[in-house]
Amino acid sequence: MLKIRNGRDFVGGAAMIVVSLLFIAFGRELDVGNSFQMGPGYFPVMLSLLLIGIGVLIIVQSLVVAVRDEPDAPANWKASILVILAPVFFGLALSRLGLAPTMFLMVGGVSCASRYAGWRHSIALALFMAISSVVLFTRLLSLPVSAFGPWIPFLSN
Amino acid sequence: MDILSDLLLGAATAFQPMNLLYGFIGCLLGTAIGVLPGLGPTATIAMLLPITFGLQPESALIMLAGIFYGAQYGGSTTAILINLPGESSSVVTAIDGYQMARRGRAGAALATAALGSFFAGSVATVLLVIAAPPLAAVALKFGPAEYFSLMVLGLVASVALASGSLLKAFAMIIFGLLLGSVGTDVESGMPRYIFSIPELYDGLNFVAVSMGIFGICEILRNLENEHERSVGVKKVSGLMLTHDDFRRIRGPILRGTTLGSFLGVLPGGGAMLSSFAAYALEKRISPNRAEFGKGAIEAVAAPESANNAGAQTSFIPMLTLGIPGNPVMALMVGAMIIQGITPGPNVISEEPDLFWGMIVSMWSGNLMLVILNLPLIGLWVRMLTIPYHLLFPAIIGFCCIGAYSINNSVFDVFIMAGFSVIGFTLSKLRFEPAPLLLGFILGPMLEENLRRAMLISQGDPTIFVRSPLSLSLLIVALIVLGMVLSPSISRKRDEAFTE
Repeated sequence: MLKIRNGRDFVGGAAMIVVSLLFIAFGRELDVGNSFQMGPGYFPVMLSLLLIGIGVLIIVQSLVVAVRDEPDAPANWKASILVILAPVFFGLALSRLGLAPTMFLMVGGVSCASRYAGWRHSIALALFMAISSVVLFTRLLSLPVSAFGPWIPFLSN
Repeated sequence: MDILSDLLLGAATAFQPMNLLYGFIGCLLGTAIGVLPGLGPTATIAMLLPITFGLQPESALIMLAGIFYGAQYGGSTTAILINLPGESSSVVTAIDGYQMARRGRAGAALATAALGSFFAGSVATVLLVIAAPPLAAVALKFGPAEYFSLMVLGLVASVALASGSLLKAFAMIIFGLLLGSVGTDVESGMPRYIFSIPELYDGLNFVAVSMGIFGICEILRNLENEHERSVGVKKVSGLMLTHDDFRRIRGPILRGTTLGSFLGVLPGGGAMLSSFAAYALEKRISPNRAEFGKGAIEAVAAPESANNAGAQTSFIPMLTLGIPGNPVMALMVGAMIIQGITPGPNVISEEPDLFWGMIVSMWSGNLMLVILNLPLIGLWVRMLTIPYHLLFPAIIGFCCIGAYSINNSVFDVFIMAGFSVIGFTLSKLRFEPAPLLLGFILGPMLEENLRRAMLISQGDPTIFVRSPLSLSLLIVALIVLGMVLSPSISRKRDEAFTE
């Protein structure tokens, strides 16, 4: 019976196969053409097939070769989710709240991802980032984004 | 003298007051961010790229080059002072540099790193001046088949030099190539993998991708096992080297520079490989080999010279062929494209002031670093003490604004967030992100040249072996591949990376 000797590689190989299948599936409308007249689908499809092959090899390897590997650090879900959501929040809020409040809320919020953050420091940092990003990016580099957006009625212009 | 007039042209660009200023700001910012633990050159450049968008192309590239050396140098400072290599190329510096610091010789270690880097940088700049024009002249004769084979060689070599599993490195290259095919197909104008999202017609933005993979992903990793960094940095004194020190570092600096200059040109090489190789070499031949690991000054001098020489000469294939050998050069290529310059052999003839200006600025940048670093070391030491929990929210903030400013669109911010998740998952599965970025950058060029070559040959794949140049490039690629696959070499490779 086959036994998975390296779980990480098994998952990794499978992930590569899934990625290639996704590329094949989403590209199935693309014309593949032939080697003389390659269509837009030729290159991605060939690469996907190649990646499937490599994925299979990685899986085979994971069944045959046992690897000593240091274990991962315990997952810190709260931190990971906060850090991933921070840019998403930034993207959603920027045009509505404006740069200053978005930056303030995002920096303040994401600093909770650290175990060592104190609320005083976090607020100070958030204020600092909000002010300096407005000065640097809207004033000095004139990025097309206003300091306060339409959701902040009294300050936006 | 041709070279002389070229250099004068370069000096005229590089020594313009504004360009000197941008170079200086670049070195300063690069050092400041590179010193911060956990931020290497790739992340630093990815983060700071957007601030150069508004500049003239020459100024932008001069500033970026400054950021690159600054970040590289900042990494050595953290390696020596707190045993925390900011990037892979200063891993070996940390071994003896930190031991020197513990014995009260931090100043000497830093001075050695600075002098070695400056010497190596100057020599490598001269090499660049000599080697670049003839290489570009050869490259101008390249047809699509030769270019395709050259890129294959570059990708294979980058796998060969990656640490970890080869299969996984190949998987990452292909994943990167696939990601590169997102966007409008150049030949037919057909949209590919766009999902009716207008922002994707130009493809995934590589700044957003690399910020996600190298910037945000690094934060995710650091927060997994966050522990209070109590930075016990003492006052740094004694920057002067003794007569004996000079005698001891002379040889290692020369050897490190030579080794680094050659390894830097190799695709996939650059700073990291150079520093490892130089350390290994010194360990074998140094008369003070017994001291290695306990604070030998040779073990700081050699890798520091080598990694700076390698960093410098890795510009050669990027500037002359348009082929990036490592992620940093990939970012540089991206920056050139954003500035409206097509990297490749034509840059020398079409943009001579940009090309030579950049080269001269490399030398002046290295000089600035020495002047900047030794007296300002106290400032960098203070920056080291900024706690991580205040650092990472600021980094995320700057990355968000940076990603937004690429196209003034929040779409790239979402792309960045998405790629931080992809990068994090890949790192959990022990896949390296560097080959992915190289594949991503080279993908469109590789496909274009493949399709053109096949069109010329009317679908006959032997075109790649009929041209002698293309054939020899492919043979070299095969040899490299064979070397990596042969077990004795791969064992050596593991040794080099575990040392």
